[in-house]
Amino acid sequence: MGQRIKTVPRYGNTLKEKLYLPAIYQGMKITFKHLAQNVSDSNAIDTLEYPEEQPTDITSRYRGLHRLTHREDNSIACVACFMCATACPSNCIFIEATPREDGQDEKMPSHFSIDTLECVFCGFCVEACPCDAIRMDTGIFSLTGNNREDFVLDKDKLLSHKGAFGEEKSLARK
Amino acid sequence: MSINIKIDDTNFEVEDNSLLIDILLKNDIKIPHFCYHEALGADGNCRMCMVEIAGQKRPQIACDTFAKEGMEVFTKTASIHAVRQDILELELINHPIDCPTCDQAGECKLQDYYMDYGFYESAINSSDKIKHEKHKDLGSNVILDQERCVLCARCTRFTTDITKTHELGIIGRGDEARVTTMPNKKLDNPYAMNIVDLCPVGALTSKDFRFSQRSWLLTSSPSVCHGCDKGCNIYIDHNKLKYQDAKIYRFKPRYNKNINGHFICDEGRLSYKELEENRQYNLLSDNKVISKNIAIETLNSKINSYKNNITILVDANLYNEELEAIKSYALSIGAKIFSPLSSYMDNAFGDDWLKSSMRASNAKGIKSLSINTEITEDYTTTGLLINFNHPNPDLLSYLELVEFKTHINNEKDKEENLNLIFPLAVSSESEGTLINKNNITQYCKKVINKNSPTPTALEWILDITGDIK
Repeated sequence: MGQRIKTVPRYGNTLKEKLYLPAIYQGMKITFKHLAQNVSDSNAIDTLEYPEEQPTDITSRYRGLHRLTHREDNSIACVACFMCATACPSNCIFIEATPREDGQDEKMPSHFSIDTLECVFCGFCVEACPCDAIRMDTGIFSLTGNNREDFVLDKDKLLSHKGAFGEEKSLARK
Repeated sequence: MSINIKIDDTNFEVEDNSLLIDILLKNDIKIPHFCYHEALGADGNCRMCMVEIAGQKRPQIACDTFAKEGMEVFTKTASIHAVRQDILELELINHPIDCPTCDQAGECKLQDYYMDYGFYESAINSSDKIKHEKHKDLGSNVILDQERCVLCARCTRFTTDITKTHELGIIGRGDEARVTTMPNKKLDNPYAMNIVDLCPVGALTSKDFRFSQRSWLLTSSPSVCHGCDKGCNIYIDHNKLKYQDAKIYRFKPRYNKNINGHFICDEGRLSYKELEENRQYNLLSDNKVISKNIAIETLNSKINSYKNNITILVDANLYNEELEAIKSYALSIGAKIFSPLSSYMDNAFGDDWLKSSMRASNAKGIKSLSINTEITEDYTTTGLLINFNHPNPDLLSYLELVEFKTHINNEKDKEENLNLIFPLAVSSESEGTLINKNNITQYCKKVINKNSPTPTALEWILDITGDIK
């Protein structure tokens, strides 16, 4: 196998840039400044001691675990229109529809589950929903389980999630 | 006689006195319309198909205008767009905002036209919309939502002009106008579900298909109905969802002017269920699941022991190619081949339109391959009977029976059928040609690909004989 030599051009516009050494010096200066600071006062380090310490800066725009919202009478807001499942880029929303018998609307999901292992948390389902029935405002950022099935959230689980930012009911039908 | 007309600056040569809307539809020029339907003719009530015609003061409806020599038609001008938008806005004044729960969503003309000509600021408060009866069961698997109706009268014209059963009418005036049945009467005719396809909006939906799937998640594949030897053209609407098996959700009629026109009968439409239910999936002997090799060995040893005393019975719903393969197989093992067609006759089913009493889709194919169809003395007793899915093997007396079957037919099958049973693919899982009663040969492609496919008759014959014919 013949030796292959690649000639790398020297980048930079001025002589100072072309020398590289001043830039390396600048970088190391910042690195050692932080090292000195952190060694002298470890409480000022910008990291969380998770899980003992929990984040306090989750805003209402944060896309946490999904939830299915309720109407004013506490019944499910979802009408099983499949908009979320259609918009979902990872096809991880599974819905089965059934006629609704309580006089409100005609249709509701008999089965609604989200496979959170496949979900990419893009929020398209929330955007697509015409009924404000699915939201990602639970503030829940961590989900643990012992097997794959634990990560498939079913209808009851999704309905049990609470909104973390005050808006508990669906705002679709006032 | 043909004449020349000009549509949107393009010249067309058309038949004299043909309807303008037919010309536009035939040439794929976009023309929104609700009430016009080729099978029902012009009614002129929806006013959606307005076009401009040079020399005419006002826009004209294309469904009631006949082509004349030298006519100049415009379908895309700004004023026509404005006219269509205004008419659409009128149609939608009392239309509920039901799209999320409406089965028609995705194949709804109102949605399509709103995307083409709508996008206006609605002047109506949704709480002021007139309320009518929703999800009213009309009978015959049809559900009516009066609020969604655009009063195009396609459904009432179908029951008046085509089935002549007169169940539906439009009552009330103005905002109160609505489709309904006569008091205490139900929709009751064997073609009733066609009004679901005719309805351009979500007012009439199928009770059978209701909420089972959204239309945009379905794939429509052309096929032919196997309900009788009329051979009506259909679309099979099916899909295969993630982690699930292929499934058929509905049949819809497919236009074929030589056979069924725009329609199919309700029984044919609902026959998709038979392709899924009670299927024979297992290879059985003595009611135990056995492997393919053992089954073929057993069959071959049976054939050897009954030399020259074998009859093969074939189903008249199998495709020509399958029948031909079975016929040459019969020849190679020295067996008689037989398909008694009397088992398929159902005089209560037939009528003078689309329903035929011969309920075997390829009865003509059987005859064209000169397979015996009459029960004669030669065909009453046999040693070994090999039945390729014929519904009535007990027409013959036999010593032993080997069955190739698509369905578990009855309770006896489920419990104590000790015969050697080969599972067979149904029509949607196989492919081939059928000859209908008017001698029209039609090709059906393989539509359904199951996760674990059941072999077709052709595949079994190839496996058993071990050679390629």
